[in-house]
Amino acid sequence: MNTAAQPPLTFAIPKGRILEEALPVMARAGVVPEAAFHDKDNRSLTFATTRDDMRLIRVRAFDVATFVAHGAAQVGIVGSDVIEEFDYSDLYAPVDLDIGHCRLSVAEPVGGAAPVDSYSHVRVATKYPNLTRRHFERQGVQAECVKLNGAMEIAPSLGLCGRIVDLVSTGRTLKDNGLVETSVIVQISARLIVNRAALKTDPRVAALVEAFRADAQAREAA
Amino acid sequence: MSDPTADLLPEGLADRLPRAAAAATRAMRAALDAMDAHGYDRVRPPLIEFEKSMAMRMDGVQPRRMFRFVDPSSLRTLALRSDITVQVGRIAATSMADAPRPLRLCYAGEVAVIRADQLDPARQRLQIGAELIGSDSVAAAAEVVALAVESAEAAGGRNISVDFTLPDLVDTLAATSLPLAPEQVDAVRRELDAKDAGGLKEAGGEAYLPLLYATGPFEAAIDKLAGLDAGGALASRIEGLRQVAARLGSMARLTLDPTERHGFEYQSWFGFTLYAEGVRGALGRGGTYSIRGPEEPATGFSLYVDALVDAAGEGEARDVLYLPLGHDPQVAARLRAIGWRTVAQLGEGEDPRALGCSHMLQGIDPVAL
Repeated sequence: MNTAAQPPLTFAIPKGRILEEALPVMARAGVVPEAAFHDKDNRSLTFATTRDDMRLIRVRAFDVATFVAHGAAQVGIVGSDVIEEFDYSDLYAPVDLDIGHCRLSVAEPVGGAAPVDSYSHVRVATKYPNLTRRHFERQGVQAECVKLNGAMEIAPSLGLCGRIVDLVSTGRTLKDNGLVETSVIVQISARLIVNRAALKTDPRVAALVEAFRADAQAREAA
Repeated sequence: MSDPTADLLPEGLADRLPRAAAAATRAMRAALDAMDAHGYDRVRPPLIEFEKSMAMRMDGVQPRRMFRFVDPSSLRTLALRSDITVQVGRIAATSMADAPRPLRLCYAGEVAVIRADQLDPARQRLQIGAELIGSDSVAAAAEVVALAVESAEAAGGRNISVDFTLPDLVDTLAATSLPLAPEQVDAVRRELDAKDAGGLKEAGGEAYLPLLYATGPFEAAIDKLAGLDAGGALASRIEGLRQVAARLGSMARLTLDPTERHGFEYQSWFGFTLYAEGVRGALGRGGTYSIRGPEEPATGFSLYVDALVDAAGEGEARDVLYLPLGHDPQVAARLRAIGWRTVAQLGEGEDPRALGCSHMLQGIDPVAL
């Protein structure tokens, strides 16, 4: 294959929670963004890296998975919550980066779920309708999901739903809003994700996976 | 017509306009010619069959994905085909049950699904493929992979890459050297499929982790896989893969992903996926399988060339000869016989260039416009 003619690799990273922890891991695997990336005032979404054949894009976590699944970006980093929610068939998550730990949990008001919920039917506010539906289905409960994009915690007190499903790390936000965690759906950590076709046809993608895996194994051993 | 939605096409269905239709026709013809040259006879099964006969021939075929409706004459459920392979399986098991084996058949036609994939909105696709019925040996696998690469190239695929897999790997290992409880098998397979190292540990498949690393360029990956095969349960499969790879030689870039399960619902020991440069996603896949009923082994592949047609873009403009009013029809016929494409003038006031013509007939000679 002619390496000179190869298009640049695109590496998608999420805004927010995972980013701070991800940068050192990426650096050890040889992915270092240009200085403009750290400039808080820079509104650009695409950044160069120290590698000529690679650029970074910074997008919302859910969009990282979408870009990579469609092959618009070849590689990315995203929480396993997003991977599970989409369940894209063309997405591989070959390396557990062991960062960005939290859990996806069900929470309800301290005084119990509102009367909108019955024995076989619950109404849940969440950013994760698919995961939520699957979780309740396994218990023989039909979950009616109200998709919200944030501030789930206030929904039960306003009567929008009986309970919520959201990411929990310390549990502080839940407590402050009068909610209590009732069960954990799944533990979350950040994963390196790659596009299936890119992994199989572009040796640079396989080399990146090896670099991230070697780093993850070295940290695990330490 | 005041209703702009009257001509709306349903989601995932589209017209192929002249350029794209020509490209699709060329790709289909070239692939069928390659199969024909290797002794594969074309069959043309119907668009619609009884749901039951489509569902029973191969494991993992989901009638739920097919358009289904009731047949007004028999009152049984009919289904629009979503995969021609099962129809070829039916032909091999019924009308051609007595034909000598190995039986080599090929096909090309449109298939439809009731709901599109997450990533590909198309609900109708052109499927082209070949099936070698009566054998799932290493020799059969090698012949079919080589033919698949040749057909894909004929259809316009460039820099073909072939990814090998062992579809029944987890079942084999779970029953022998890396035992799993029956209820764990599905979860382990799912996580292996997604290459999710973290998820695999949680599903209790930690012993399977090294399989994730036996992935990549064929030579290195097959050595890793052989190194993992402590009990020798995979020895014959690994040897088979090496022989198939040797047969392909430098025809294509080879990779191995022993745990790939995407799109391999009914394959047995051997499966492969074809990728081509500039084509997003897979161009085709194939492998060994068993035709239910007679339980006959078979090997085959399918190409979905729509992606190639999309990637091909505009294509080259062809020479077209404009035949003015009053031209000599016999001259025109002779020119067509030697390969000219002609457009005859119908009335006054036509602009040959606007009609796509590159030449005009003057007397008995084509003259460039």
